[in-house]
Amino acid sequence: MQLEKIIEKCLEGNEGAWRMLIDTYSKKIFNMAYQFSGKYEEAEDVTQEIFLKLHYSLSKYDFNKNFIAWLLSLTRNYLIDQYRKTKWKNKTRDEFNEYYLASFKGMGPEESILKEETRKFIWEGFNNLSSEMRMAVILRDIQGKKYKEIAEIMSLPLGTVKSRVNRGRLQLARILKEKKEERNGM
Amino acid sequence: MECKYIEELLSPYIEDELNLKEKQIVEEHLKSCQKCTDLFLSIKETTMTLADFPEVEVSKNLLERLYKTPVKKRKFKISFDFLGSPSLQPILAAVSVFLILISCYIYNPNKNLINKSLNRQIHIGYSKIERLVAKAESFSDSLGGYKENIIVSLKDINPFGETEE
Repeated sequence: MQLEKIIEKCLEGNEGAWRMLIDTYSKKIFNMAYQFSGKYEEAEDVTQEIFLKLHYSLSKYDFNKNFIAWLLSLTRNYLIDQYRKTKWKNKTRDEFNEYYLASFKGMGPEESILKEETRKFIWEGFNNLSSEMRMAVILRDIQGKKYKEIAEIMSLPLGTVKSRVNRGRLQLARILKEKKEERNGM
Repeated sequence: MECKYIEELLSPYIEDELNLKEKQIVEEHLKSCQKCTDLFLSIKETTMTLADFPEVEVSKNLLERLYKTPVKKRKFKISFDFLGSPSLQPILAAVSVFLILISCYIYNPNKNLINKSLNRQIHIGYSKIERLVAKAESFSDSLGGYKENIIVSLKDINPFGETEE
């Protein structure tokens, strides 16, 4: 079924269409919330809140706009609000391996320990980034969004987005370098 | 060339967003600066790792919670959405003021006094109207025979100053 049709059905109160919308987007939204907050349980609660918000805002959705960009913008706003209210920046993130190990299982032996370690360092490094910088890096490098789309999602000028992604990457790269040096005893 | 300036160009360099001149500057600098080369490699590794970052599956528990988002509640909300439209706001404000006045009247302990005062005001208003009507009638009578002349002369008045040919 086409996305427009699904949304129209959702607006009519069709539960099947709502389930379809959840099945399509819940993984994306949950992962974004988890990458941003670093806390599995909080990411679950946040995802539920975002879908509740989506549920109530769906009638305001403009069919001429990109639905995913609109949903990500909703997610971004909620996550940044929560970040300010709950001070996630002061909390430690979940251990990287705790929930991600399950996703390594199917990857086979070519997935080296070093790669896993790099991911762990970057995962921990996210806590050193400001909320806006963290969001820009997640959208650009993990979600693979174009700069123009990120500018729309974050309601920021293109130049600001590029600068935030750039500075975020620089910060993460420095953290990665330092951690690797520490491990090597340098 | 300052390393600080080059650092800012490393990320756009990886994404191939630099012009030819800037590209050459970065490449020249990387040949001679180990510190920036290490940072460049680290940025590259970071972006590659992020691009390949694994996704966690959504738990069944969360999916169930999401499915249960109250559909009925939303339907109810939509059916009353029109109440929030700006065009209805003055009407709603007037209705609210009216309801406040009515409730002030109904729940007022001195309701009888208000009734008396209202009655008096209505009577005063009524008698004023009566007097006005009587005055109008007497004026009409006093005109007598002149009444028709006045009507004719009023008809002859040319408000736009046009002349008949």
